[in-house]
Amino acid sequence: MSDGNRSRFAAVALLLLKLRAVLVLLILLVAFSILTPSFLTANNLSILAKHVSINAILAIGMTFAILAGGIDLSVGSVAGLAGMVAGGLLTVRIGGHTVGVVWVVFAALLVSCGVGLLNGLLVSRIGVAPFIATLGTLYIARGTALLISNGKTFPNLGGTATSGSTGFSVIGQSFVLGVPLPVWMMIVIAALASAIALRTPFGRHVYAVGGNERAARLAGIRVGRVKLLTYCFSGFCAGLVGLIIASQLESAHPATGESFELNAIAAVVLGGTSLMGGRGSVRGSLIGAFVIGVLADGLVMMGVSEFWQIVIKGLVIVLAVTVDQVQTKVEARMAPAALGESIAKVAV
Amino acid sequence: MSDVVLEARGVTKRYGANVALKNVTFQVRRGAVNVLIGENGAGKSTLMRLLAGVETADAGEIWMEGRQLAMRSPRDAEAAGIAIVHQELAVLENLDLSENIFAGRELVRSAVLIDCDGQDVRSEAALKELHKPLKLRSLAGTLSLGNRQLVEVARSLAHGAKVLILDEPTSALSVAESTSLFSVIGELKRRGVAIVYISHRLHELLELGDHFTVMRDGRIVGQGERAEVDRQWIVERMSGRDLEREPERPAKQTTCEPRFEVQGIATNGADRTAVRDVAFTVGAGEIVGVYGLLGSGRTELLEALAGLDAMTAGEVRISGDAVCVDSVADAISAGIALVPEDRQRDGLVPELSIRENISLASLPDFARRGWLRRRAEAARVREIAAQMHIAARDLEAKVTTLSGGNQQKVVLARCLMRRPRVLLLDEPTRGVDVGAKAEIYRLLRELSAKGLSVLFATSEIEEARTLADRVLVMVQGALVAEFDAATMTDEALFAAASPAVEGPR
Repeated sequence: MSDGNRSRFAAVALLLLKLRAVLVLLILLVAFSILTPSFLTANNLSILAKHVSINAILAIGMTFAILAGGIDLSVGSVAGLAGMVAGGLLTVRIGGHTVGVVWVVFAALLVSCGVGLLNGLLVSRIGVAPFIATLGTLYIARGTALLISNGKTFPNLGGTATSGSTGFSVIGQSFVLGVPLPVWMMIVIAALASAIALRTPFGRHVYAVGGNERAARLAGIRVGRVKLLTYCFSGFCAGLVGLIIASQLESAHPATGESFELNAIAAVVLGGTSLMGGRGSVRGSLIGAFVIGVLADGLVMMGVSEFWQIVIKGLVIVLAVTVDQVQTKVEARMAPAALGESIAKVAV
Repeated sequence: MSDVVLEARGVTKRYGANVALKNVTFQVRRGAVNVLIGENGAGKSTLMRLLAGVETADAGEIWMEGRQLAMRSPRDAEAAGIAIVHQELAVLENLDLSENIFAGRELVRSAVLIDCDGQDVRSEAALKELHKPLKLRSLAGTLSLGNRQLVEVARSLAHGAKVLILDEPTSALSVAESTSLFSVIGELKRRGVAIVYISHRLHELLELGDHFTVMRDGRIVGQGERAEVDRQWIVERMSGRDLEREPERPAKQTTCEPRFEVQGIATNGADRTAVRDVAFTVGAGEIVGVYGLLGSGRTELLEALAGLDAMTAGEVRISGDAVCVDSVADAISAGIALVPEDRQRDGLVPELSIRENISLASLPDFARRGWLRRRAEAARVREIAAQMHIAARDLEAKVTTLSGGNQQKVVLARCLMRRPRVLLLDEPTRGVDVGAKAEIYRLLRELSAKGLSVLFATSEIEEARTLADRVLVMVQGALVAEFDAATMTDEALFAAASPAVEGPR
C-alpha cells in the first residue's frame, strides 16, 4: 500500500469510527425491519420515538454535566420527585379550589431545577466530587418523593371537567402534526442544547471546563458558574421527564425513574462523549438514546427474553467504550503526522 | 581514576526532535560531593534520570564499579546501589517512618508476613547514622520537609546505597534544616558514599562541593576541582555568555510613565513561598524581568497579580487607577493577562482546536445576543495566528498537534486577543526550541514598543539579560535587588538571587 493510500485508509477508518453510533443505529433499524415485519410501521415508530424521548431528554441534560467534567446521578430520582410534586399539587384542594395545571408544571420544574442547583452548589462551591454529591441528592430526592405521599401513588391525575382541573394529560399524550408532544419536546430541547453547546460562549466554556479546568479558570471563565448551570439544566430535563411520565400514566408513583440515570449515562457514552469531560456532543447522546431505544423495542418485538435484553444492552455499552479507546489511539497515532507537517512548514 | 564509582560514558538522550543530552560523560567519585550545575533545561535532570534508571539512554553506557549496568528500570539502579532523592519528595504520608523506609522493598518472614521488627531495627540504625532521633512510629505526613528528606536519605542508606543523588535538596528547607542536611552529607562522605548534588545556590555548592561539573544545552561545558572553582568560574560557564551570539538590544526610550504599579503585595503562602511586601512599577512599553531561583516566589507573585491566588495585603494600580484582582476574571477585565509557566497544566485545553484555544478568553467579544458569531471569531483568530506566525496547517486541528513553541504562541495569542494593558509571563520560553524562543522575544519587544507593559518571571540568567529592560531579583518572597539590564553583570545578578544561609552575603 502506498503512503497516500494508507493515510486515506486511516482517514476513512477514523471517519467510520467517529460515525459509529449512526452506523450502529442504521444497522439496527435495517436488521429489525427485516426480522420483524411490524417494526417499520408508523404506529410502532411513533411508540418507539415516545419511549426514546424520555431517555433522550435525560441524556441531553446529562451530556452537559459530563462535558463539564461532572456527572449527574440524581436525574432518575428528580424525575420521580417532579412527578410526585405534580401529583400532590393536582390532588390537593386549597380552599376548595384546584391548583392550575400551569402552576403545577411550573412548581415541579422549579423543584427539579432546585435539586440541580443544590448539586451545582455542592460541586462548585463546596468542592464535593460530582459522583458523591449527586449520589447524595439521588437518595434525598427519592426519599422526598416517597415522603410526599407516604409511599402511595397519586391516581387519576387526568382530572375532571367539573373541577376544571383537566389539561395535565396534554403533556404526555397529545399529538402535534401527528407526532407525540414528548417527541417534539425532545426535538426542540436537542436542537436548542446542540446550538447552545456549539454556538454560544457558554457552550464553549463547558467544553473548556471539562477539558482543562485550570486553563479555563486562567482564561477568565467563571468555572463554578458554568458547572452550576450544567447541573441546573440537567435537573430541568429530569423534571420534564418526570412530568411526561406522570402525564402519560395519569398517575404519579414515587418509584418512577429508578435507574434511569444509568440509561442516560449509557446513551451519553454510546454517543461518544468522554466521561473525563471536554469531548462529546448533544447529537451523539441523541443517537445513543435511539440506539438503546431501538435495541430494546426491537428485541421485545423479536420475543427475546427480558434477561437477555439486559445482557445485550451491557455488551453494547462495553463494546462502545472499547471502540472509543480504539478511536483515541488511532487519533493519537495520526497526530504526529500533523505535527511533522507543521514542522516541515516552519522549515520551509 | 580508581575512586570513580559511577560513570556515564557518552550518553545521548533525545525527546522527539529535541536532543536533551549530547554525548555526555560524567564521573561520580567515591566519598566526595559531586556538584552538578546548570540552568533549567540544561540536561541535569535528564542525566540524573538516566543514572537512576527512570529513563534509558539512546546511546552510551553506564558503568558502576568496573562493570557495565543494563539499566532498564529504577530497580536496576537500586540493585546497583544508586539512590535518588527527588526535588519533589516521594514520602508516603499515610505510613510511618519504618514503613516508608521499606516501602516497596518490605522485609518478609514466613513468606507472606512483613517482618516489622526487622524493619524497625534497620530503620533505627539508618536514622541513627544520620544522628536523627526521629520516632519510627510517627507518620511521615506529620514531619517537616527537612525531616521528610532525611527519611528518604535514610531509606537509601538502609538499602546500602553507594551513590546518593540529591536534586535541589535545599530548595524547600529552612536555614536550620539546610545546615542539618549539610552535616548529614559530611557524615555520608566520610563513610565513602558518593554524593551527586544538584543546586542553584552557589554558596552552598562552594561550601560543600569537591568536584564541579557545569552543563548547558545538553552538554558538559566545564569541569573543575574545588581549588580551581569560584563564583565567577561557575557563572561564566553556566550562562554561556557568548559575545558573538549576543542579540542586538534595541535602543530603548526609557521616558515612559509608570503604567502598572504594585504596592506592598503579600500572600500567605500556605505550602508555597509567601510573597512579602513586594512593590514595583512597570512603565508603558517597558519589559521588566523578575529573576529568582526555585522557591523564590516569582511564580507566586505573578499568580497573585493575575488573580489566581489571594493577596493578603497590597494594592495594584493601572494608569493610576486602583484595580481589583480578587479573581482571574477581575484581573482580566482590569487588563491583566497571565501566560502560565506550565502550559500543559494551566494553559491548553487539549480536546479543543487551535482556534478554540486562542479565542477561549475572548468569547464574549464575539457574542451577539448570546450567540457566537463564529465567522467573526474565525477571522480574528486567523488574523492573530498570522501575526504571531503560528505554524499550523489547519486552525481547526487539535492544539496538541502543535510543537511546544507553537503551543506557547497559542497561549500567548489567547492573552493578547483580550488586548491586555499588562502582560504577565511566567517562564515565557520554557520547553520552547531556539527558533520559537527568538520569535517570542521579538514579538514581546514589538508589543512593548506599542505600549504594552510586560512583566516576566524567569530562572534563566540569559533570558533575564536578553529580554528585560530592567531586572528585579526575588529571594524568599521578597524583592532584594534591581538591575538595569544594559549594565548588569551575570555574576551580580546571580549573587543577588542566592539566599544567604548565614551571616552577611
